[in-house]
Amino acid sequence: MASFIKHTIHQNDFILNSNRTIFWEQEKILILSDLHLGKTGHFRKAGIGVPATIMKEDMQRFVAAIQFYKPSLVVIVGDLFHSVENKEHELFLKWRNDLQYVPMLLVKGNHDIVPETWYKNAGIETAERLWRRNNFLFVHQAEDVQEEDLQEADYFFSGHIHPAVSVRGLGKQSLRFSCFYFTNNYAVLPAFGKFTGTFLVEPKKNETAFAIVEDSVILYKK
Amino acid sequence: MNLEKSTGYKIILDWLKKNERQPFTFQTETWQHILSGQNGLVNAPTGCGKTYSIFLGALIQFINAHPKQFQTKKNNGLQLLWITPLRALAKDIARAMTEVIEELGMQWKIGIRNGDTELNERAKQKRQMPEVLIITPESLHLLLAQKNYPGVFTSLKIIAVDEWHELLGSKRGVQTELAISRIVNVNYRISNAHCLLWGISATIGNLEEAKAVLLSPLKAEGVIVKADLNKKIEIASIFPDEIEKYPWAGHLGIKLVDKVLPIINASRTTLIFINTRGMTEMWYQSLLNAAPELAGAIALHHGSIDQELRFWVEENLHTGKLKAVVCTASLDLGVDFRPVETIIQVGSPKGVARFLQRAGRSGHSPDAVSKIYFLPTHSLELVEAAALKQAVAENFIESKTPQLLCFDVLIQYLCSIAISDGFYPDEIFEEVKNTYCFAAITKEEFQEILLHITAGGIALNQYDEYKKVEILDNGLYKINSRRIAMRHRMHIGTIVSDAMLKVKFLSGGYIGVIEEYFISRLEPGDSFTIAGRNLELVMIKDMTVLVKKSTAKKSIIPSWQGGRMSLSSNMGKKLREALTLSQQKNNVPELTVLKPLFDLQNQLSHVPKENELLIEHIETKDGFHLFVYPFEGRLVHEAMAAILAWRISQITPITFSFAMNDYGFELLSDQPIPLDDGNVYELFTDKNLFADIQRSVNSTEMAKRKFRDIAVIGGLIFQGYPGDYQKPKHLQSSASLLFKVFAEYEPSNILLKQAYREVFEQQMEETRLRDMLQRIQQSKIIITWPQQLTPFCFPLKVDSIRENVSSEKLEDRVKRMQEQLGKDTK
Repeated sequence: MASFIKHTIHQNDFILNSNRTIFWEQEKILILSDLHLGKTGHFRKAGIGVPATIMKEDMQRFVAAIQFYKPSLVVIVGDLFHSVENKEHELFLKWRNDLQYVPMLLVKGNHDIVPETWYKNAGIETAERLWRRNNFLFVHQAEDVQEEDLQEADYFFSGHIHPAVSVRGLGKQSLRFSCFYFTNNYAVLPAFGKFTGTFLVEPKKNETAFAIVEDSVILYKK
Repeated sequence: MNLEKSTGYKIILDWLKKNERQPFTFQTETWQHILSGQNGLVNAPTGCGKTYSIFLGALIQFINAHPKQFQTKKNNGLQLLWITPLRALAKDIARAMTEVIEELGMQWKIGIRNGDTELNERAKQKRQMPEVLIITPESLHLLLAQKNYPGVFTSLKIIAVDEWHELLGSKRGVQTELAISRIVNVNYRISNAHCLLWGISATIGNLEEAKAVLLSPLKAEGVIVKADLNKKIEIASIFPDEIEKYPWAGHLGIKLVDKVLPIINASRTTLIFINTRGMTEMWYQSLLNAAPELAGAIALHHGSIDQELRFWVEENLHTGKLKAVVCTASLDLGVDFRPVETIIQVGSPKGVARFLQRAGRSGHSPDAVSKIYFLPTHSLELVEAAALKQAVAENFIESKTPQLLCFDVLIQYLCSIAISDGFYPDEIFEEVKNTYCFAAITKEEFQEILLHITAGGIALNQYDEYKKVEILDNGLYKINSRRIAMRHRMHIGTIVSDAMLKVKFLSGGYIGVIEEYFISRLEPGDSFTIAGRNLELVMIKDMTVLVKKSTAKKSIIPSWQGGRMSLSSNMGKKLREALTLSQQKNNVPELTVLKPLFDLQNQLSHVPKENELLIEHIETKDGFHLFVYPFEGRLVHEAMAAILAWRISQITPITFSFAMNDYGFELLSDQPIPLDDGNVYELFTDKNLFADIQRSVNSTEMAKRKFRDIAVIGGLIFQGYPGDYQKPKHLQSSASLLFKVFAEYEPSNILLKQAYREVFEQQMEETRLRDMLQRIQQSKIIITWPQQLTPFCFPLKVDSIRENVSSEKLEDRVKRMQEQLGKDTK
């Protein structure tokens, strides 16, 4: 069973789940990032036999999260798909069809290169660079946010880098875990898709990270 | 047929006489065997005419078959396939062979085919195969990946595998076995006669097995022909002026540069062998700094240097224009540079065989003395020199254990022949099973491999687009996609290196290649050294590193990954004997000079004899250290450390970090380590060894590292070639990510299982581990509690690689680590 940690930002409550999602309680919005769906398909099409079940597991986790939270909206902060269309996109459509009642919004990331019409057919609303709800912004890459974007917003959520923290002990021991990463004015979500690499972040003072250790979310201390 | 009465023999004998030479006994013996249709193995050191033993045999055979027209017959098709592990060997051998052909007035052509062969030359060979083709295992597989390859082998009479001892024991050896299994079969089908199969090997501990592995595809018994030429070897150590009592790896060697210069000056040409590429660069610089007059007369030779430059070095070695060459294993194998009179080995050669091989690079004529100097990189290494001398005197040479069931190589091979003419599984299964490597493969395993290449491991579902090998209606397994075929051809081979980038001047001009891993840690403006030049990084663009000349005084020397050899079992045994001898009255100079170090070791702790195992408990501000000295080599120590850590953690929950070198290993913990006279024999028992290996978390980490090579060989990772090809971005992944997803989603994957098996069999060397534990059970275990670090443990402290193991639950451990860190910062 997954575990959660509640994290509060500007009087809003966000549930960090070890299934690699964030749930915004006040707005009932499920936030996730970097699913990279279709990546296994591209590999397999090229003759590289990575396990075909990865995508299925990612989708099951996605559906389970929706059924658990019953969100009013799912916001994906980029990289829903890994690359151009392949058959795994069809598999996604099948799932999407069963979840028609849930509105989905994609803030497009650098990997989201399928044509706009495709999203329309799939019932996914898209936002080009950023999307706003109340005083929160949603973008793919944190570095894309300009000064003027922040004038009416207090905080923003992003993805893209697939953050992870390394936990070190005595004698150079170290282990690496995917994490939720919070700075003073933005958050970075872990990659939702399991067939993705990670990038090591080093939280500074006043920054927090929550590591996903197996089925738990643990506050990371330096 | 009787050799002496044959025309061919007479002609060859005449030719030899004209050159004032006469055949060695082992050569005529081999020729007779060839004429009698025997297969076998020639056991001869380099520089003794081993090439002639088979090459002239092939000529005699040909002349006998065409006694009247042997000088006029042209375009006879491939007669002799000469497989050699090193490209550098090819030119040398071709040169020697061409000389003979010309002097005999024959029309044979000698061709070379390897990674350096130009495209138009390959095309020419395709139109008309030369009579002799000198080829590497990789290029041979590429040849099998060409359409209509069976035609090439129609007229083939002899397959010769040179330097078989080098190939045996490696995946390139397996590659060779598979290629041979295919070639002898297609040759037989067309010509209805088996071609002969001959290997050439230097002396190794298991010559009989070496022969059995080679001849397995023919199911032939075969013969071993021994060249009983005892080469004299003179070994001398280079002593530092002062023996440091606290040795640490690497830093001493370069200080001895002044002692190397007189050696270089005193002989015609000297080869300086160094274990790592990074150190060769450093040595080259230091030699030039110490003796600027040597500029132009010394050169560098290693695998990352531009091939043009390497060729230049080799040419100038032949002509004797170079005074010294600083090199790595790249010049290990039988290149016959006559001007080379002296060898200097810097640092441990790690094995007796390698040391002898290198010594043999000097004094090439059969009666000349091979002269080799041993230069220690830390003072303790002098013990190794003493051990080597004894091992050489006893001819105590290592065995090469053949690799078994390398499914990654098999997958690659099956894809190669699926590109060219395709294959029928039943036929190929029989062939593959005839090789030594795959003799034990089951029908089920083969099915699994077929499933892997045709369906990507799991059953198809409607959304899956896996595509590699297709099964045609007639049951033929074939790769039809040109893109997949091209990608496969580009990565045929079993030597896995880091991604390499080309290094070029901004103004143009190619310098060499460098590991991506190294360059990624540099910032533009940083200086580094490659191919003996100081360069400044300007930028990285399109897989090319652009540089300009640097004026910086200090530059970083690339540390090339890999090439970390472990001490051989033979060396370990001799090393323990040498230590025993050091504690007795002796006149071995290397041991007497180390007396101050041994005295300190004895005063603080103990110098172990061969029937003893030394264990040291030392407490420092880093924590509680346990040092154990089995002298069995880094790999065995790595495994033993993991097992010991696991066993201790069964007594009490405890976390360790490890370090190991060739002499011993270290366990480090933040709490006292519960090991004493009461439980030590139990902790070093060989009971439950296999189960304990599997339980030690460490095997996962080791398997992850093994998996990288397996994934590349098995085609899961496309590396690309330096600069030639841009990796398709959407297909990029790291081996550790692949390992993670396979472990989670397809744990039964055949390549994943192979990674674990390789860890047990090779990395941990389970047999050797067991032998060591049995030896320890018979020994006296001596536990000491020194008040400070000892000379023996010091190199371990400095030269440490750390891994970790824990019996605690992952979450507990993370929290505990954090607590620990919290405490530290207070």
